[in-house]
Amino acid sequence: MALIELKSVTKIYPLGSQEVVAVDDFSLTIEAGEFCVLAGPSGSGKTTLLNLIGCLDLPTRGEIWMDGREVSCADQKALSELRLRKIGFIFQAYNLIPVLTAAENAEFTLMLQQVGKKQRRDRVLQLFSELGLDGLENRKPSDLSGGQQQRVAIARAMASEPAVILADEPTASLDSHASEELLTLMQRLNEEQGATFVFSSHDPLVISHAKRVVRLQDGHLELDQ
Amino acid sequence: MLYQLALRNIWRNRRRTLLTLSAMIISSALLILALGIFSGMLHDMLASATEQYYGHMVISANGYQDDRDMFRHFSAEKSTGTVLEQDEILGYSQRLRSFGLLSHQQNSSPSEILGVLPLQERTVTSLQNSLIDGNYLTDEDPNGAVLGSGLARRLNVVPGDQLVFVTQAADGSIGNDLLLVRGVFSTGDIGHDNALVLVPLAWLQQVLVLPGQVHEIAVRTDQPLNAAEVAQQYRAHLPETLEIFDWGAMLPEMREVVASYDVSRMIIVSILYIATGLGILNTFFMAVMERTRELGVLMALGMRPGQIRAMILLETTIMGSLGLLCGAVAGIALSLYMALVGVDLSGTLTPITYAGGTILPRLHAVIEPGNILIPSVCLLFVSLLAGFLPANRAARMQPVVAIREE
Repeated sequence: MALIELKSVTKIYPLGSQEVVAVDDFSLTIEAGEFCVLAGPSGSGKTTLLNLIGCLDLPTRGEIWMDGREVSCADQKALSELRLRKIGFIFQAYNLIPVLTAAENAEFTLMLQQVGKKQRRDRVLQLFSELGLDGLENRKPSDLSGGQQQRVAIARAMASEPAVILADEPTASLDSHASEELLTLMQRLNEEQGATFVFSSHDPLVISHAKRVVRLQDGHLELDQ
Repeated sequence: MLYQLALRNIWRNRRRTLLTLSAMIISSALLILALGIFSGMLHDMLASATEQYYGHMVISANGYQDDRDMFRHFSAEKSTGTVLEQDEILGYSQRLRSFGLLSHQQNSSPSEILGVLPLQERTVTSLQNSLIDGNYLTDEDPNGAVLGSGLARRLNVVPGDQLVFVTQAADGSIGNDLLLVRGVFSTGDIGHDNALVLVPLAWLQQVLVLPGQVHEIAVRTDQPLNAAEVAQQYRAHLPETLEIFDWGAMLPEMREVVASYDVSRMIIVSILYIATGLGILNTFFMAVMERTRELGVLMALGMRPGQIRAMILLETTIMGSLGLLCGAVAGIALSLYMALVGVDLSGTLTPITYAGGTILPRLHAVIEPGNILIPSVCLLFVSLLAGFLPANRAARMQPVVAIREE
């Protein structure tokens, strides 16, 4: 059974009096353990596709299945639960919660899952150690560099061991050195821990690290290799 | 977790939080103070009406309060049974009343003469506290008189002067006798100050030829605002020849004033909190709007719409609770000051008689639970309401839309 399956998915956005077809009759299957990039120029529909896979948005037509369950017709509460249990997000702008410390940010999904304090702190400390964030646990996001914030975002995405980690342009706000480090790190997590990663990016560096590249053009699948 | 997050969100913009809290605290404190002063005014009016003359309840012969016919008298000792021995009765005063002409040298004036037992009368009314000259009556005084300042001015008398009182006696004769001015009172109530004279009961009984008789018994209870219910209970224990009225029946306008107080209070509270509420709503809305993207992230991470709503409502509840706590403390402190010290306005204002009571020229607060509870509950309600709209908006947002918002 595929981890994620999109069947003839179409997403249309209203734009004033007109409609924009962001993704058109798109089908895709992603297996567990993949390290996959949705690539394409701006406006090709890769972020829309990532939002649909991440249950942040619902398709206009078609079906989306995750872990054997159809999610394209689920209600908001069920989608929240699905995002909490199955999906980890890494955002382009990190999007850490400014009032929480680095460790609390990383623990956040575990807190929502009502995991005990000691258990979640142990898990986060382990992740911080793996991600080179030792000693930064009590810093607020505003006291961290861009690279450090992105690592905390990775720790947050991985803390609850979700079925898939979705990253929207993860290197867009980083310099090339930090980008290389980040991708190497995610590659390692994919290989050592079997974490499934799906990126949206047009960065050649990201594409060069991917095991699978799904190229989009105007909302259509152009290439899957 | 929600509590921790809500608490930190409150303090993320300290200046705005402090400004919002200040608005809550100041509005609550001023409202508590304003209601306290309003209550003080009402108590002054009620006290002036009851403690200067009527008492809280009056027992009299049937029909006496309608026409004050001097022949509607009764024997107090024989008629009232155990009614006056109840715990809630703080005092009572037997009275005999007469209307007649009071003269001093070339001056004369119609007046209302109230024959009282001075010690008893002090337990019901507080005219002794309104003396501006001389002394109050004593039980040993055979023919003393204490009269209102307006009457004293008209008759041109001071303590020590002699007065002549002429009236019709119960036996048909002309009753007249001498009185000696002992004191002059000034209550601020023009009606009483211009006509009322207190004299010893025995003296008036002798002048009217009504030995052992009274026209009414004025009663003071520990529950003036519930006097109507108390009077109703006592009615069953009195003989059929007697009736009992509470102050509300004697002063229907005053009863209306008291009854309209609750309505007035709610109108004042509503006006102030609509204004304050809009300010709070604006602040909360802005605080939530600027966090739209962050709320979208929280939803993307798995926070349910209900948890988002609860978090924002918790923030507003914490703010509201803090505001009402500090506001109540400040309001009570201000009210206490106004209750203990107050502000004397007699230099610029004169007493106003209205609905049988007198509004004294002073700012004086009375602390009542309702005056603290109503603003507090309303502030909490307004905070929750002001939080509900942005909380609901946030909870209904699509995460993808929220995250995209700048």
